[in-house]
Amino acid sequence: MRTLERTYRIIFLTTALLLSLIGLVFVQSAGSYWGEVHYQDSSPFIVKQGIYMVISLAVAYVLVKSPLTSHPKFWTYCYIASTLMLVAVLIPGVGAVRNGSQSWIALGPISLQPAEFVKVALLGKLASGMKKHKEKSWQWQHFAWILLPATLIMLQPDLGSAVIMIVSAFVILFLAGYPLSFFIFLFVSGLGAFIALILAAPYRLDRIKSYVDPWNDPLGTGFQSIQSLFAIAPGGLFGHGFGNSRQKFLYLPEPQNDFIFSIIAEEIGFIGAASIVLLFILLFASAFGIAIRLNNWNSFLIVTGMVSMITFQTFLNMGVVSGLLPVTGVTLPFISYGGSSLLTTWLAVGTILHYSANKRAG
Amino acid sequence: MRSFIDMQSKKRLRAAFLCFLICLLLVIGKLFHVQIIKHEWLKEKAEENWDIEIPFGAMRGNITDRSGKLIVGNKLAPTLYFMPAQNPDISSDIPAIAKILKMPPETLEEKLNKKTYMVKLAPEGKNITKEQGDEITKLQVAGLYVGVDFVRHYPYDDLLARLIGFTGYDGDGLAGIEYAYDEILNGTGDKVRLFTDAKGIALPHVEDSFEHGKDGLNLELTIDLKMHQIVERELIQAMEKYDATQALAIIMNPKTGELLSLASVPGFDPREYQSADSTIYNRNLPVWMTYEPGSTFKILTLAASLEEDVIDLENENFYDPGYKVVANARLRCWKREGHKDQTFLEVVENSCNPGFITMGQRLGSERLDRYIREFGFGSSTESGIAGESKGILFSKEAFGPVEQATTSFGQGISVTPIQQVQAVAAAINGGKLYKPYIVKSIKDSEGKTLKEFEPELKRQVISEETSAKVRHALESVVANGSGRNAFADGLRIGGKTGTAQKVENGRYKDGDYIVSFIGFAPADDPELLVYLAIDSPKNSIQFGGVIAAPIVGRIIEEIAPIANIERRKEQLEKEYRWGDAITFRSPDLLGMNEKELLSQNYTFKVKWHGKGKKVIRQLPAPHTLMTVEDTIHLYTE
Repeated sequence: MRTLERTYRIIFLTTALLLSLIGLVFVQSAGSYWGEVHYQDSSPFIVKQGIYMVISLAVAYVLVKSPLTSHPKFWTYCYIASTLMLVAVLIPGVGAVRNGSQSWIALGPISLQPAEFVKVALLGKLASGMKKHKEKSWQWQHFAWILLPATLIMLQPDLGSAVIMIVSAFVILFLAGYPLSFFIFLFVSGLGAFIALILAAPYRLDRIKSYVDPWNDPLGTGFQSIQSLFAIAPGGLFGHGFGNSRQKFLYLPEPQNDFIFSIIAEEIGFIGAASIVLLFILLFASAFGIAIRLNNWNSFLIVTGMVSMITFQTFLNMGVVSGLLPVTGVTLPFISYGGSSLLTTWLAVGTILHYSANKRAG
Repeated sequence: MRSFIDMQSKKRLRAAFLCFLICLLLVIGKLFHVQIIKHEWLKEKAEENWDIEIPFGAMRGNITDRSGKLIVGNKLAPTLYFMPAQNPDISSDIPAIAKILKMPPETLEEKLNKKTYMVKLAPEGKNITKEQGDEITKLQVAGLYVGVDFVRHYPYDDLLARLIGFTGYDGDGLAGIEYAYDEILNGTGDKVRLFTDAKGIALPHVEDSFEHGKDGLNLELTIDLKMHQIVERELIQAMEKYDATQALAIIMNPKTGELLSLASVPGFDPREYQSADSTIYNRNLPVWMTYEPGSTFKILTLAASLEEDVIDLENENFYDPGYKVVANARLRCWKREGHKDQTFLEVVENSCNPGFITMGQRLGSERLDRYIREFGFGSSTESGIAGESKGILFSKEAFGPVEQATTSFGQGISVTPIQQVQAVAAAINGGKLYKPYIVKSIKDSEGKTLKEFEPELKRQVISEETSAKVRHALESVVANGSGRNAFADGLRIGGKTGTAQKVENGRYKDGDYIVSFIGFAPADDPELLVYLAIDSPKNSIQFGGVIAAPIVGRIIEEIAPIANIERRKEQLEKEYRWGDAITFRSPDLLGMNEKELLSQNYTFKVKWHGKGKKVIRQLPAPHTLMTVEDTIHLYTE
């Protein structure tokens, strides 16, 4: 069985590396023109993404090897640090506004998106501190830990990150043995919250409307959906070929970013796009395969929590891009351009690899 | 292996796994939906979104005459396009461009600063001259494109304008042949498809694609330009001479139905159609106009009577007292004192109304009506020329004895010139009713014939023998009778004059006449049929035989060599010997008013003196011997 676990680990790591390389290549293809037009004086996206990748892999390697990673206190510090950063983002002068959300901290040439890191930190904190005894699993502080960063993120606002964080945190609670009635209650109250959120911010209603029919307002709320479909659909079965996207020429805004999957589907077609989805399935299936064989309760929860985060974010991104879900700005793990996003994904990968390698008896 | 994880968590893990799997499979399903199922629909929409095309003007098909001579062609007239995104600092070039386009710089600046992908610089920059286009090209202004475009070119100016029609601002045919054959003539222009980003900036390293359009097809008309030029010249002269309101003429090959000339005057300049009256460019008179045909219609009564054998031209006499009573109505002959005793041939020569009424009566209403309809009256000739009318005949119920009588000599009905030509062609060509047609062939831009139009026989109306008799009778009308002014030696012209009063709102209009003549040559084997009508001739008030007949005679004389008609040795000689003046006795016109006089078929000139209505004195006096060159002076109170 050791060999099977090893195989899963190899599949998991290989898939993650492969997806990152695919990302690097498509950041170049999708983003080069946008970069030329909008960031003439800085280096091309592929160079920066390459640097981010090196940093991400290095940090992930440290996470895998460092004994600190196993320590619950490590996650508490991470959680406190990233939550403080979320507070800092909201301070005028420290936080920077991009695309209508105050999500960034600019430190000289580097800008960070704390909402990305807090996801990993929260999952680590939540899972590493979870008790094995089911009857004691219910703890009010779990919700406090989740709701504090979630509220801060919603103040930016960044609905996508908040949803991903909450969903993956609840996957941990689910696996940890929270009663089913709780999740049913959650589902009902979530629906209520959803409606409340829509009522609170009318722009979300517009997004829902344009989700139902993007042609309703093709130049307004439906614009991104339509431009994404204009990329994907003409790609057809085989795509226009690598580098031959039409929509990347400013038709689709920031094509290297949240909508990079549209350009991928456009250039390598249904076959290529579906293959990438299959790679993600392989990624999370192998992680689940690792998780179910772990003999440590907290490792089990951490691995599944982290991979749930990656997978749910993948689904959210691809769902938006393909028109399955209403438009929400989230990056595609491994593939979208951006240091914070890539680093966060690799933090999760590193954590998964760490916990699957260092099985402690417990 | 003993698992550390309890069953409940394992179950839940599998459930979570399944959820994620379903989610990602849903994505694949949605991708399949968008990329495969909705592929075409969305692709089309996306292409609309991308397309920035500079359309180049289409090469519209040429219109030529039967020998390929160009009637309407194309002339290079570039159109300017500007893509603002490609040149944000156009301002410095504006004065130079404005100067070439002869427009105020402010207007130009306003147009060029529009926030769109592409500005079509119209109307100032549309269809500029080639020279202007060259000058603009020399300026080398970024983003300003000189697109190939064409305008119609008319080597003969307004010749044939009312038949050909014109094209509008965007090059679509709006009237005449241009309109009726628009789909054939229309080309799809070349296109330069620009590869640009969403803002309209040309993409680097991507070649703009050039899409070849399809040139329009060429129309070869049946028109013979040489003949038509002669006809139009004659019509214009007649218009001036008689101060007429309008005039028309048709030349047809009676053996095929080909229209060799189809003329209406006044014409208009197709380049300046906006300033022309719509009643000019929308009315192609030979097919549009309907009026009482008058005596030219008698040819068909004659043909029917001969076919049905109800008269004998040479061996049967008819006495005309100057009128005929039909159902208590006294229908008068144009010659008040009557033509007295005459053969039926002379009835034809004299255009004697009671004689034709008799023919109509002998035929009976059913047969007369049938022949008229078989000769093509009452329905469109289907010539394919835009704006053709059908004319009006009496309905079967309303076709009483009086209506039948007036129809016999061409009154009370309304027909088009082209119907008359179609019918008379059948009467003289051996009885075959051919569909008149104007398009000889359709050719592609390389000159390859795609479709050739053949003569289309509608039906046999009368026999060859009857037709021969009609030809003979009509030749003698020209040689001896009311059409003598059309005589041309050796050409054996046959024909018939017509004078018809215009009807307006169901009533005869005082003083407005249409004088006409239909003639053909040579009578032994007709190759040309010419119809000519002049609407409301003024100045000196005259008769159809005086105005229209000599013009047709001249036209036939001029066009006969073009049609390779040789002058015959044998012909019906004119009653007088060559060179002699024609002499006849002057008619008694005393007591007549202008209207009565005009409805007659005399072949002499008259001049009115005085302001009264009735003739109280005439010079020379009635029954004086006079020549055709002389004028009868009429004096009123």
